[in-house]
Amino acid sequence: MSRGVLATEKRGVRELGAEEKVGWDAVPQGVVLNSFDNILKENVSHVKPEDRDYSDFNSYTATVASWRVIKPVYNRDICIDCQNCWVWCPDTSIISRDKQMLGIDYDHCKGCGVCVEVCPTNPKSLLMFGEAQELEDALAMWPEKKKKAK
Amino acid sequence: MAKKFELNEVEVWDGNYATSQALRQAQVDVVAAYPITPSTPIVEGYGAYKANGYVDGEFVMVESEHGAMSGCVGAAAAGGRVATATSSQGFALMTEVLYQASGMRLPIVLCVVNRSLASPLNVRGDHSDMYLGRDSGWINIDAFNAQEAYDLPLCAFKIGEHLDVRLPVMVHQDGFTTSHKAQNVRPLQDEVAYKFVGDYVPVDDMLDFSRPVTHGAQTEEDWHFEHKAKQHKALMDSTKVIDEVFKKFKDLTGREYKRVETYYMDDAEVAIVALGSSVETATLAAKQLREEEGIKAGVVAPRVFRPFPYDLIRDALDKESLKAVCCMDKSAPGGAMGALFNEVSAAAYTTQSRPMITNYIYGLGGRDFSIDEAKRIFKEQKAHADAGHITTPIQQFSGVRGPKLGFFETKRGN
Amino acid sequence: MAITNIKNLKEFSTANERFEGAHLLCPGCAHSMIVRELMNATDDNLVIASNTGCLEVSTAVYPYTSWDTSWIHIGFENAATAASCAESMYKARKRKGTLPDPDAPVKFVAFGGDGSTYDIGFQWLSGAMERGHDFTYICLDNENYANTGGQRSSSTPIGAHTSTAQAGSESYGKTQRKKDMVAIMAAHGAPYVAQLSPNKWKIMAKGFQKALETEGPCFINTVSPCTTEWKFDPKDTIHLADLATDTLMFPVYEIINGTELNILYRPKNVIPVEEYLAAQGRYKHLFKPENKHVIERIQKDIDAKWEYLQRREEARV
Repeated sequence: MSRGVLATEKRGVRELGAEEKVGWDAVPQGVVLNSFDNILKENVSHVKPEDRDYSDFNSYTATVASWRVIKPVYNRDICIDCQNCWVWCPDTSIISRDKQMLGIDYDHCKGCGVCVEVCPTNPKSLLMFGEAQELEDALAMWPEKKKKAK
Repeated sequence: MAKKFELNEVEVWDGNYATSQALRQAQVDVVAAYPITPSTPIVEGYGAYKANGYVDGEFVMVESEHGAMSGCVGAAAAGGRVATATSSQGFALMTEVLYQASGMRLPIVLCVVNRSLASPLNVRGDHSDMYLGRDSGWINIDAFNAQEAYDLPLCAFKIGEHLDVRLPVMVHQDGFTTSHKAQNVRPLQDEVAYKFVGDYVPVDDMLDFSRPVTHGAQTEEDWHFEHKAKQHKALMDSTKVIDEVFKKFKDLTGREYKRVETYYMDDAEVAIVALGSSVETATLAAKQLREEEGIKAGVVAPRVFRPFPYDLIRDALDKESLKAVCCMDKSAPGGAMGALFNEVSAAAYTTQSRPMITNYIYGLGGRDFSIDEAKRIFKEQKAHADAGHITTPIQQFSGVRGPKLGFFETKRGN
Repeated sequence: MAITNIKNLKEFSTANERFEGAHLLCPGCAHSMIVRELMNATDDNLVIASNTGCLEVSTAVYPYTSWDTSWIHIGFENAATAASCAESMYKARKRKGTLPDPDAPVKFVAFGGDGSTYDIGFQWLSGAMERGHDFTYICLDNENYANTGGQRSSSTPIGAHTSTAQAGSESYGKTQRKKDMVAIMAAHGAPYVAQLSPNKWKIMAKGFQKALETEGPCFINTVSPCTTEWKFDPKDTIHLADLATDTLMFPVYEIINGTELNILYRPKNVIPVEEYLAAQGRYKHLFKPENKHVIERIQKDIDAKWEYLQRREEARV
């Protein structure tokens, strides 16, 4: 199964609950979780996610892919980079860089289908398929442009 | 820059004012507070320093005590020194957040001017509020007079903020008896006091954006126990730092504090264990009984109520001469022995001598505890000692009108 | 303050996310859309406090955090106090020179659901607003205690079925009307108060930026359609928000300094409220003949509120 675009060595590498269960002596004082392993040299909002040193405590390193029964598939050929899917994705799973939609983060997408609903192209550039569907096969069965019913 | 406050070598301060001066000298960054009798003058005093340029920190008068402690937690997580004061119902309203402050390991200092809990409503001093918070994970230090109500908050900052501790600290004083009674107090000069407390060292600072942190995460069954165990260990281990800080304070001022204070205990046959201003009453009674009637009476007072000094209580009670001990609890016990009785009994059970231990509930709602009454209780202990067994119910009430109240009999003796 | 360019979505989409995936919010939850938009609307440092609620229990369950900025949760009711007193600490440390990076701009934000905003945290919020701290409080209003399985709150509208205000043979659901939190906040004299909706992303982003830029306590009520408790398909969250704004069930407007009211979105075609109600399982029972009067009542209330808002806007008082 594809992990989607811009997957890194850290992204979505653990199922929730699969983390090592350390003892009382190894948990952080005050239940404080640090988001990153490094000391940031610049404002984090100026650093792209793939360039960040995420800590194991960051949910970026966990996956919720197993929540999905259906998944969105992205068709670059039709997309107009309107970024509707980006702004309304509840799971930070639409990956856009430099004003371009690059694709889906399948480590964090829960398959809600909002991105498909808000996609304005005809046919849509995002469609829901069964989780087991191969991406290539999904793209091969993409529908034609629909005529608007008057 | 805050103005220096001119202080005499000896001032005449009540406990509340003494505490407010200590907060000023520690240059607390944020005081978030809500007024309640009898602790109100602490925050009023602080408000006056703020209004006149004696502090640089923020003074936030919130809408409730729950808000006060919530504000303290938010401010403390933002990396600075934080303190507040409260009493009684206000303390009760704060209780939820007390547990959150300690679980989040934020070294807030809470000055508690002890007062009873309603119902019925009562503004006078007893230890109901102190007892309500005893499992909340805070270090609890008890001041018995105005001087201590000044000294101990200074120590509290230094203890709680120590990197090996990082726990919130309560400093208790008795409502009215201590808080409103003017006594001689020897303060430190501002710069000496501040130097003793030291600069605040931020840990997991929310205003340090080079290391973003999440405070107050949820832990479920896989993790909660480990975090609570770690927190308990930190609290139990804080004794080392408490002792160190008390030692440094003694070196600076000559005033010595110990986690358990003992008076006339070297050869004592009977003893009273008490908290707060009653310690001085009991000590005077012991002195007089020794002089007047030759009764070898002594007093044991936990200066630090949490972490409970089981080790030092054990050592204080582990003497062949000691036969009978009375634990004095100034809080309605709610269907049990008083808390001090329970804790002290647990410690005494580990001694070789295993003295007899009884419990008095006394002083509720500010009922006076006199030297004469303390003497009567000492003499009752002497009767137990002479009989070789406890001659009264284990728990009795001191100073309440009406027929005698007593609960629970011993099976030892007779 | 450094604001993100929100001229259009392409520009907006260049923001680097500070709210991470693999949080535990339901698929299709609007909370995270709103939170992402707030965080993406600025690149200032953020100190965020959250009340207990769906957002909090889904984004900071040990050993994971979804927050790439300073974040704190204390209790159900006190995020406004946490954020506002963190702001006090910021002022104190700035004055004393103990901030690690004294020149970096910082914004203080508190999030609460409607349960913690309208009900249990009402007092804490009111106190923080009155004290005048420089912070923004955002209510994620899904009109029920969704985190605990959908109980009624004082934000739940009349006629809605919840687990503690059930529709049944003797009841049409909640019998009380929704509390007008926006008016209450405006009555505090807050410099900026608004009601915003995620379907109108640009209005919402602008509102967020305005609140963050405005010195003083700001309050924003955001509509957060709840797939689980409103009972609609997760894919339809934005459709539901469209219906909410276009039926005027959730008018989108702002109030500046407690008086100057501006309507920020006027639907070209106002949709009858039946369509909004029919799209949600929680209102299913209203379509029984005996409950018709409730729908009429809701429509009447909407019309009256819209009339009121327009008059307020015109009167500038």
